[in-house]
Amino acid sequence: MSARWRLAAVLCALAAALAAGTAHAGVRPAYGGTIRIALPVLPRERDPALASEPADLLLARATAGQLLEVTEDGRLAPGLLEEVPVPEAGGLAFRLRVRAGSRTASGAPLGAADVAHALERLLSRARPSPHAWVALPILGADALLAGRTATLAGAQVLSPRELLLRLAFPLPELPWLLASPALAIPGAGAFVPAASGAPSRSVELAPNPGAAAGLPFAGRLVLVAADARGAARLLEKGALELVVRPEAAGGVVTALPALTVTLVAVNAQRLGDAAPAVRAALAAIDRAALARRFARGPAVALATIVPPALLGDPPPAPPGRPAPAGASAARAPAAARPLRLLVPDDSPDARAAAERIQVTLFDRGLRARLEPVPRAALASQLAARDHDVAVLSVTVLAHRPALAAGQVALAVAGPDAARRAMALLAGKEGASAQDAAAALSASLDVVPLFATGLRVSAAPALQGLAPGADGAFDPGGLWLLGGGAPP
Amino acid sequence: MRLALSLLVALAAAPSPATRADPPLPAQSSPPGPAGSSVEALAAALARELGPPAGGRRALALAVEVRARALGAPLEAALSAALSAQGYAVAPLRTPGDPEAAARAAGHDWLLRVQAGLVPGRRELGAVAELIPTWPSFFLQRRPGARAVPPRLVEARAPADAATVLLAREGRPAGAPYAGVRRLARLPGRVLALAAGEAEEGRGPVVVAALPGALVVLSVEGERLATHTLEPVAGPVRAPAAALAVGDFGGGRIAVREAGAQHGAVLALRGGRLEPVAALDGAPLCSGGAGAVFGAFQPGTSVLADALAPLVDPGAPPRSARTLYGVACAPRGGPIAFAALGTDLRLELLGADLRPVPSATPAAPATFLEGVGTGFALADLDGDGVAEVVTSSADPASPERIRVVPARPGAAPAFEWGPIDGAILSGASADLTADGGDDAVLGAVLRLEDGSEATDLFLVTSDPRELP
Repeated sequence: MSARWRLAAVLCALAAALAAGTAHAGVRPAYGGTIRIALPVLPRERDPALASEPADLLLARATAGQLLEVTEDGRLAPGLLEEVPVPEAGGLAFRLRVRAGSRTASGAPLGAADVAHALERLLSRARPSPHAWVALPILGADALLAGRTATLAGAQVLSPRELLLRLAFPLPELPWLLASPALAIPGAGAFVPAASGAPSRSVELAPNPGAAAGLPFAGRLVLVAADARGAARLLEKGALELVVRPEAAGGVVTALPALTVTLVAVNAQRLGDAAPAVRAALAAIDRAALARRFARGPAVALATIVPPALLGDPPPAPPGRPAPAGASAARAPAAARPLRLLVPDDSPDARAAAERIQVTLFDRGLRARLEPVPRAALASQLAARDHDVAVLSVTVLAHRPALAAGQVALAVAGPDAARRAMALLAGKEGASAQDAAAALSASLDVVPLFATGLRVSAAPALQGLAPGADGAFDPGGLWLLGGGAPP
Repeated sequence: MRLALSLLVALAAAPSPATRADPPLPAQSSPPGPAGSSVEALAAALARELGPPAGGRRALALAVEVRARALGAPLEAALSAALSAQGYAVAPLRTPGDPEAAARAAGHDWLLRVQAGLVPGRRELGAVAELIPTWPSFFLQRRPGARAVPPRLVEARAPADAATVLLAREGRPAGAPYAGVRRLARLPGRVLALAAGEAEEGRGPVVVAALPGALVVLSVEGERLATHTLEPVAGPVRAPAAALAVGDFGGGRIAVREAGAQHGAVLALRGGRLEPVAALDGAPLCSGGAGAVFGAFQPGTSVLADALAPLVDPGAPPRSARTLYGVACAPRGGPIAFAALGTDLRLELLGADLRPVPSATPAAPATFLEGVGTGFALADLDGDGVAEVVTSSADPASPERIRVVPARPGAAPAFEWGPIDGAILSGASADLTADGGDDAVLGAVLRLEDGSEATDLFLVTSDPRELP
């Protein structure tokens, strides 16, 4: 790195510290150059309907076209839809208009039918989506999910560009559902997969010349996997422009909102008499300490299943409560067989929390066997109620309490619970949403633990990093100071 | 003196001939002399206002006071001639001290005290004269200094040609700063490009701003004169941008093209309305003393290809693989007539033939300035015949500042002003104060409390009348 660029790096770092995420004074975006992004793992899932991990979500964000965008200051903005839809028919219908001239990277025109198809894909039985909650409020979603129909009755294509959505219950937050990356249209994003030969240790993306928002600034986007130390080393060497990980990796660091909720689901049906003792043990866990000691990224203790970032300024999570005297003796029968404590095998934070829970349960005379399982298998076992206790980690994708509650409820207890959760919190914000979410947590029999977020660590030359209030950022908006020209 | 100055200011504040239905200003009546025809026209207009000598009193002492010394002698000569033609016997009064006392002592019938100068903001020469009776009155013999009849005040204006503007330009007062900056206007929205110059022939300079989908024309006082809605762009561009120029484009003097638009447009400003007169294939990058420059946006982007031409030439091959943020033209040409800012943040200096200005270093074929912000303009603020670069801060760690940088690699800024709110993303230059020197206008985009954007336009000038 030349002295000039080192100086620029220091200056840029100072500037970003003053105004994180904003473009520097007097400099317009430049096109070109390669932006290399390190992630905890390489993306494995290209389909936005199936993406749930940060790496997969970033890839989906880069290659799929969002219907609506969430701005830095938490407002909705048009994406593939030409405007943010407004409620009709007493809040039970919304009219969606696709932006004229929208196309996929292959040149295929995009229209209302594609949006309807994207909704239907979320309810597919062939490849169950973790984001079915996005389509559940629409009339006929249950019939499609159950396989009784092949199409979503509440999604009515009125014209090539106009779609009418009719809802099963009033949900003023519906436009925020449309901003979910799960509903993004594949092939209509800022980038397309770059032609490559053999399987590689990176995912390379090239600009999509037909991107609805316009050509992305970067000439190439390269996604790689790197551990925390490796990523920090590469960023310092100038071999990376951005690191997205829970840990800070140097450069200009911005903490994204803590929107990944980690919680414990209790299956009282299976636990029987042991359920109260398990609940009491879980309630005794100091969530703040758990968040502080076991979460790698920015973390905050949870009071309900809704992340505090969506509730404004909610009351703090309750501290752990000591178990009543003699409780362990009362739980002795349950200790006869070890409890099955399920945990997703790809979430280190959830695993750390599960291990702590295992110790807590043991302290109270309850033996638990930790079973790391793949995320898809965990979803199936939860749906089948084939667990005693499960630790879940859900990255909330919608920036409204009702929708977050629906997403978490779907992960814990399935579609009916998700629908009820959304209906319960519909239209609620702040304290009223907090109260409703607390009641919902109890009815779902879950113990919220903490919410975590990621950090983005950027090289000084990287510009245009403007995470929305939903914690996501548009890779198409990233650009390099100097246009990626060699110094 | 103070009275005359305030009258000059009053003249400046009065509606200009270009905006009201006044009779046209006197046309030139003789071939340009050493001082040009403007001075003669002004003298003739003043003499006409004065009229022939009253009561046969012809002896007139002429005292001319100007802040620009170079203007004094030509104006005195022109006035002598014009007043003589009216029947006066003119004697220039150049003695120091009280001119009225000197005129009385010399036995003149009248003293004509004339103060003249450029009218601020207009390309006009203005004069205010006091006609003071100086003959001794029979009835006022006990009060020798008393005036026999009340004095008269007359005034006149004439368009200032280039030579006159040069003569009338005031020198910078001792201790005055290099330049002054003041806010000209605030426009709602993000200004993508600025241009300045005469949008209507002979009607004085204006500032033109291109916003997404709209064009706004402002007077040099910042008053909105006209607006026009542009055709929607055909293809989406992630960061909107526009190319804009004011100059001679045939049927109109304003040319604009938005990035992503199918074509540009030439517009004419007529009676407060902007009327499209032609479509334009190229992107009008700027227009100045050495002519206009056209280019082209890279398809789908908000940056330009490095293909610059004096005429629209869609097939012009790029000079390099660089991409450009924009090009600036020096209003009066000169050795540095154009400058092209690359997205590598290096500003290439170009001559009137659009070829690179040779570098002082034999190894380097072109002259580049480093660290120029993307809002910039070329303007000869110090009047040495070579344009300086008026630009934003290139230091991203500090708040935005306006800087004037000599067009030499490595030169320290001659002037800095700020900090200011917002980011300067556009610039243009022209003689906006009508003092004969270049001025620059820069647009700083800022975000308001309600989340919307606005653009502050700042005038950067070395006009001594504007200096603090």
